[in-house]
Amino acid sequence: MRRSLIIAAIVILAVPGVALAQAPAASAGSWVGAFAVLAAGFGMALAAGLCGLGQGKAIASAVDAMGRQPGAAARIQTAMIIGLALIESLAIYTLVIAIILLFVQPIK
Amino acid sequence: MEIIEHPPIFRIPAVGPLSWLWSGYVPDHVSYTWLAMLVLIVLAVAATRRVSLVPRGIQNVLEVIVEQFQQLIDDVIGHEGRPYLPLIATLGLYILFMNLMGLVPGVAGPTTNVNTTASCAIVVFFAYHWIGIRKQGLGTYLKHFMGPVPALAPLMVPIELISHLARPLSLTLRLFGNMLGGHILLAIIFFLMGLDGLLGWALRGSVAGIVLGGIGSLAITAFTVGFLFPLKILVSFLQAFIFVMLTMLYIAGALEEGEHHAAEQHAAQHH
Repeated sequence: MRRSLIIAAIVILAVPGVALAQAPAASAGSWVGAFAVLAAGFGMALAAGLCGLGQGKAIASAVDAMGRQPGAAARIQTAMIIGLALIESLAIYTLVIAIILLFVQPIK
Repeated sequence: MEIIEHPPIFRIPAVGPLSWLWSGYVPDHVSYTWLAMLVLIVLAVAATRRVSLVPRGIQNVLEVIVEQFQQLIDDVIGHEGRPYLPLIATLGLYILFMNLMGLVPGVAGPTTNVNTTASCAIVVFFAYHWIGIRKQGLGTYLKHFMGPVPALAPLMVPIELISHLARPLSLTLRLFGNMLGGHILLAIIFFLMGLDGLLGWALRGSVAGIVLGGIGSLAITAFTVGFLFPLKILVSFLQAFIFVMLTMLYIAGALEEGEHHAAEQHAAQHH
């Protein structure tokens, strides 16, 4: 299972390189474009997954606290929303970087 | 970004004093920011033109909204936060209105441009420092950057500087990224849907195309109307709320530090 995953990752990472190596007279720029797309996709996937983990932990604790003390639910909810925004902004940074890589293309 | 954007309904041509703009028209986020300002100003003027003790109509609605802001300020900053109600409520309504504008097809949402959100964040940055300096005086305020122990100052000053400089950056990017992310998602769904996508497939004439394209179009329409748009409305409110909430927390931090110190000195004098 793990071995096949590693092989799949290697194949996915190697394919654009192979494709580019076969292209006639590929300039250095086309490498950067291909890897920018890869970096945007992988980076966003990592960021979204880990951000989901973090937010899940935060929400679990908040719901637990609200269940224990329903009287303080409003304050806990406010704190939770602020915390979620702060966690989420880390994934948003990655999104902004991915958007810059894909659309603005500062390095060609 | 142009490839995923559609032209908005109206553009203001750059004539007269604006003719130095190279693109030939006022940038979309700027002109639609003017539209948002115009609507909010007209609403505010209409609400306060004939102020009555028993509010009716639009005055009633706006009073409820402003009271919500005031309650939020009382909860987060306390009563000394009331002078900053105009700043906070203006920012909140302005950002909320611009977020919701982005949902209307053919209207450019100004908050999907990083310059709009950066301007709001920079206003907040200078405002809370100004509030802190006015409240405590320049020396006392700057002393807070040195941390609790003077020996730790070389360590604390860079950390504090970076953390304060990161605040406007994170405010900017959070609002901008959330709004632009939702925008791109909608654009991708619309491209999937359009004449080059499922709808075009359904209209091409083959039976398989009609069945698959039709089912796909219906599914995507249901998904967009039932899930994506409510989600975007929720995100619009949530991001405006979070922007305002963090602004209040920063102002509370600038105000509280002084009280904290004063309380410490007070306690020290007592002992």
